[in-house]
Amino acid sequence: MKIAQIDFGSFLTYSPYGETDVEKRSRTARTNLKRDEHINIGSNHPLMSDYLAELIKKKLDTLPFASFFNKDSILIPAPSSSLLKSDSLWVPERLANALVKTGLGKDTKSCLQRVRAVAKSSKVSSENRPKVIDHYNSLVVQKILGEPKEILVIDDIVTRGSTLLGAVNRLADAFPNARIRGFAFMRTITNSNEFESIIKPCTGKIILREDGWPLRRP
Amino acid sequence: MVEEASYPSIQLEDLLGRPLNNIEQKFAPKMIFYKGSMEIPIPGPRVSIIGSRGASEKGLSEAKEISKILIENEVVIVSGLARGIDTIGHKTAIEKGGRTIAVIGTSLNKVYPKENFSLQEEIMKNHLVISQYPAGHSTTPKDFVLRNRTMALISDATVIVEAGDSSGSLHQGWETLRIGRPLFICKDVVENSQLEWPEKMMNYGAMELDEPIDILENLPGNIKMMPELLQ
Repeated sequence: MKIAQIDFGSFLTYSPYGETDVEKRSRTARTNLKRDEHINIGSNHPLMSDYLAELIKKKLDTLPFASFFNKDSILIPAPSSSLLKSDSLWVPERLANALVKTGLGKDTKSCLQRVRAVAKSSKVSSENRPKVIDHYNSLVVQKILGEPKEILVIDDIVTRGSTLLGAVNRLADAFPNARIRGFAFMRTITNSNEFESIIKPCTGKIILREDGWPLRRP
Repeated sequence: MVEEASYPSIQLEDLLGRPLNNIEQKFAPKMIFYKGSMEIPIPGPRVSIIGSRGASEKGLSEAKEISKILIENEVVIVSGLARGIDTIGHKTAIEKGGRTIAVIGTSLNKVYPKENFSLQEEIMKNHLVISQYPAGHSTTPKDFVLRNRTMALISDATVIVEAGDSSGSLHQGWETLRIGRPLFICKDVVENSQLEWPEKMMNYGAMELDEPIDILENLPGNIKMMPELLQ
């Protein structure tokens, strides 16, 4: 792997364990996002993907990751940790399409595929979680016409950042001249004391540590 | 035969209180017939407890333990009113003062298996029984496959407690994965080298269930999102 550090942006946060009202609501928002459900906003029922993409578009000038979305950005959905059948829900692809539909990014290219399942991070002890290299080794890039100048890897939720860092490294092999960054709609705040609100836009870095694990900041 | 000629019907979207996305719509029935005292839209979170009709004593005991912990955490138990695991799921919910939904593969005026007549009546009286088939519908084996997919759709997560390679529960398992909901497989089943399906499903995102508490971590809160928090 050539890339030891990537820039990423994210829009929302959720708390997996906290018991305050807003933390519980953040988990409902996580479910809405992970299922791309229709949500109730007054008398409207937009898909979560469309709603969030429109919201980002509306607020873009004030968001720290505004520069991530420009007219040349090709959005590439991050694969899930498991294999995926063709008619199954693939949320990052739906999120990328929703962003492009609002004019955020030039096009979606679903060219990054998982060819071997890796363990779900939430289901294994921390020492058995897949490392960045495990993600990198289980991903392949399908050929697309031309090399994008600017790539944004789109994911639904970033926890430690292994998937994004593995994906960026795999894409960098295929598109060595492209600038590649990551964007996750939601970021996990594991320590309940650090959770502030559901909307908490940020930019930051995911760094490959010497032991093979990623470090996400913030 | 349950004594009633026709039952009220409702669109599935109204039963759930929200429209379905295009992935959910693929196998969703348009209309649902229902009988019971549960509020509509149906409350959540909801978890399906499913598995073999001829389950082992250990499987039945595990189904009971999982259902009990879910009930203690105000989860609605969903199942298909079949013998074995399904029956234990419904009965545990009733015994522990919880709530349960039976999604049956026949029309509401029929009972299958016959031995669950009084259980179906009890659920119709104090909980909820639903079916996608109108009274008078002639039941075929395929109806149960479609029913299993509907059960996946109305559940926030599904637990397969015990099932062989040809079990009907596998239809629900695959549909659960297709629509992006959490699917749990009990540890003993995952570790049973005679079975092929657990490994296949785990490659597509199913999770081994070590502790029932793992299910709770994967459910939506029973507290709704407030739109203003996303403004």
